[in-house]
Amino acid sequence: MALLDIDGLSVVLPSGAAARPILDGVSLTVETGEVVGLVGESGSGKSVACRTVLGLRPAGARTSGEVRVSGRDVLAMNRGALKALRSGEVAMVFQDPRASVNPVRRIGDFLTEGLRAAGVPRDRALERAGELLAEVGIRDPRGALRRYPHEFSGGMLQRVVIAAALAGGPALLLADEPTTALDVTTQAEVIGILRRTQAQHGTGMLFVTHDLELAAAICDRIYVMYAGRVVETRGARELFDAPRHPYTAGLLAAAPSLEPDATPPRPIPGRPVSLAENPPGCAFAVRCGYATDRCRTETPRLAADDGGAVACLRADEGILTC
Amino acid sequence: MIRFIGGRVLGLVLVLLATSFVVFGAVHLAPGDPVSFLMRGRPITPEARAALTEQYRLDEPLLAQYFHWLGGVLTGDFGRSVQFRQHVGTLVAEKLPVTAILVGYAALLICAAGIGLGILAGLKPGFADRAVLVGTGIGTATPAFASAIALTALARTAGWPTYGGGEGFGGHLKHLTLPAIALALAFGGLVARVTRAAVRDELGREHVEAARSRGIAGAAVVRRHVLRNALGPVVTVIGTMVAGLLVSTTMVEIVFSVDGIGSLLIKSVTNKDFPVVQALTLLIVATFVVVNLVVDLLQPLIDPRLSLTGRGAR
Amino acid sequence: MTAAPASRVPSAAPAAKVAAPPRRGTAWMRGLAAQGPLFTAAVATLVLLALCAVFAPFVAPHDPETIDLGNSLAGSDADHWLGTDQSGRDVLSRLIHGARTGLLGPLLVVAVSTVLGTALGLVAAWRGGWVDSLLSRTMDALFAFPAMLLAILCVAVFEAGLTAPVIAMTVAYTPYVGRYVRSVAVQEKARPYIESYRVQGWSAWSVTTRHLLPNITPNIVAQSTVSFGYALMELAGLSFLGFGVQPPTADWGTMVNEGQGAILKDAFMPALAPCAAIVVAVVAFGIVGEGISDRIAKRER
Repeated sequence: MALLDIDGLSVVLPSGAAARPILDGVSLTVETGEVVGLVGESGSGKSVACRTVLGLRPAGARTSGEVRVSGRDVLAMNRGALKALRSGEVAMVFQDPRASVNPVRRIGDFLTEGLRAAGVPRDRALERAGELLAEVGIRDPRGALRRYPHEFSGGMLQRVVIAAALAGGPALLLADEPTTALDVTTQAEVIGILRRTQAQHGTGMLFVTHDLELAAAICDRIYVMYAGRVVETRGARELFDAPRHPYTAGLLAAAPSLEPDATPPRPIPGRPVSLAENPPGCAFAVRCGYATDRCRTETPRLAADDGGAVACLRADEGILTC
Repeated sequence: MIRFIGGRVLGLVLVLLATSFVVFGAVHLAPGDPVSFLMRGRPITPEARAALTEQYRLDEPLLAQYFHWLGGVLTGDFGRSVQFRQHVGTLVAEKLPVTAILVGYAALLICAAGIGLGILAGLKPGFADRAVLVGTGIGTATPAFASAIALTALARTAGWPTYGGGEGFGGHLKHLTLPAIALALAFGGLVARVTRAAVRDELGREHVEAARSRGIAGAAVVRRHVLRNALGPVVTVIGTMVAGLLVSTTMVEIVFSVDGIGSLLIKSVTNKDFPVVQALTLLIVATFVVVNLVVDLLQPLIDPRLSLTGRGAR
Repeated sequence: MTAAPASRVPSAAPAAKVAAPPRRGTAWMRGLAAQGPLFTAAVATLVLLALCAVFAPFVAPHDPETIDLGNSLAGSDADHWLGTDQSGRDVLSRLIHGARTGLLGPLLVVAVSTVLGTALGLVAAWRGGWVDSLLSRTMDALFAFPAMLLAILCVAVFEAGLTAPVIAMTVAYTPYVGRYVRSVAVQEKARPYIESYRVQGWSAWSVTTRHLLPNITPNIVAQSTVSFGYALMELAGLSFLGFGVQPPTADWGTMVNEGQGAILKDAFMPALAPCAAIVVAVVAFGIVGEGISDRIAKRER
């Protein structure tokens, strides 16, 4: 049984009279101790998919499919079970620590809030909070507990957020672009702490990012999303070396490289589309250099191949082996 | 910290000085000479002229007059009321308690009902929200005297007793209920609207969703994260309406015949009793300034990002 | 960047390429009509009030000042729809005539303070410096010294009547307008089209009068509409206190004052009718002001 098993998840937003789909049949799994990347451009639905794991759905959204954590469907949970899931098994690290930490409460308050709600006495909770801060490398953890969020740098505050996420001893950690809002210099530190704590605790991690290279560097497996659907998945190394979907290949080619003989970055033409404005056929067809007439009429299904799966009608034609 | 408070107190003193100068200088803006202005409508005997010239040092330069007057004001000497032939200080002290109870009572109603309705509307979109919006829309469009008149008409129909003086604190309180409601309506509507907007604003923030994602119970999220964070703008708006509240009291006191400083101000303006007008104007401005100093000092406690040193330069 | 080629060829023509934002004209007005039935109703109410004020002598069924002591505090009937007041004057006719002073006072306050405040705000937006600090200092002081208190002080010094309160309130409202216009103008000034006109050699004066001001006019109109309601309330309050419009002239505020005594005789109409008129007018001004603001917000998105 997988730690996290998202199975055929679809999310539809009601927008006035016309319902707006944002996810269409997304399936993915994360095993215990595994780091899985979920990669896509903004608007691809990756964050929505990630939040659904905690039962956080956009207001008024209708969902179908199943999101199972250790075999239990999150979408069918009642309020009490959901609360237990959020305070224990699953924890989330948000993109911008400045936005995701209440600015008017002390760090100690932020860290102990969940523990106190779970019935841990105040002294014990503060002690535990201090240990957690020490674990993520905050100097003077005792003093830090009495400080306010604005007294920390972005990178330090994100460490505090990670400490809070570890407080409940989660089996699954969701990281939603945890370094995007940070300075480049602190990104590596935060990534390092995430990986280290994940490995120490044997936590499974779903790492959401728009940066395919970053995902390839830290993840075991990767799912690539485009316009509300998973278009390709395989092991990080294989995906990086031999992508089979033109979109994955485009993402890799668009990233600049420092190697001397590297080709200059080639951006993907056009702009990302959302599932709502999706024309019939393959959503990527309008931006794809390999698209045929068939691509514009027939929607490709995610089909298993050796070591992964890809949703491209021309994947077997060897178009990307150049 | 000390610099911040020092800066605020200095600003306070400056506003009060400017106000006192306007209030003092107004005598000289009036058409005709100051003595006939101050004695308007009353026969000017040579004794009265001499007394006023002495009281206001009218034979000295303007600034000297001002400082003499200001010196008196600082020791509580606002001169003598022309209509009541009494010291202004004594007169005001006599009328102040009933107005203080009325305004305090109204302020309580404003905070309780305004904040309560604002939270309700902010948290519960749909019928409750729309009802509060319509109600506060009408409330804020109703001047205090109109609310007061409508309430007297209502009391008359329902057979409730209207204001009749009352004995002691409890008696005052009972009789001041209708006036306090009249005074509270418009301001309560404003507070409700500001509260609603602040609650809505906080509800949409990511730290609230993050708190939910940590498994904090819904009620605790609302109390500890939404309401706590929405407090800032609400406290600010309550501070800024103090002056308006004191001015609106005049109309409510007139309608309900409450014998407080509001009625006194109107009587004094009508009878051209200028020393009393000066004293009451200064009192209103001073109350406002002091209340807002307190609000300013509270703000950093509400939002630690507004550090005390950062805003001291203002 | 867009302005770089244009600056080498100084002519009026390239302006069309850089100027994107104008939101003037009939399309803008038509968009307003689509704000919903509440907005339309509010506009209709205001138009009706204005017509009543202008054509009061023709609309009112009776003379507002004719005293008929034999017919004091009559209830509503076919002749006097809203009954009569203590002096036997027709309440409806006084209400219709009352719209004149009721609207004229706020109109003067808002018109003058908007013109002065807009000028101050624009200067502050372009110049900063002392105009800017003067505006914000005055604003601080005016929070402590509200318009109505200033008006009461003015009446104490000069004399009761519409003049002193209107002047005092104009003085008090001007910095509010100034601060608002300044903030909107600073935002609008930051948009690239203003810079490109400046690079083309237009003077600050002509950019302001031909482009900046027309583009922020809807904001100013929205603000003035809401202020109109407040000015109406405060002037009515002053009249009620006996400091504004003087009897026997029909005015909503004075009518409430005169009708107060009738409440003890269980005749509510003489006092409540003008109260209702004030509330309806202020609500209508509020809805129209907010409607225009909403429209601006939608355009901006």
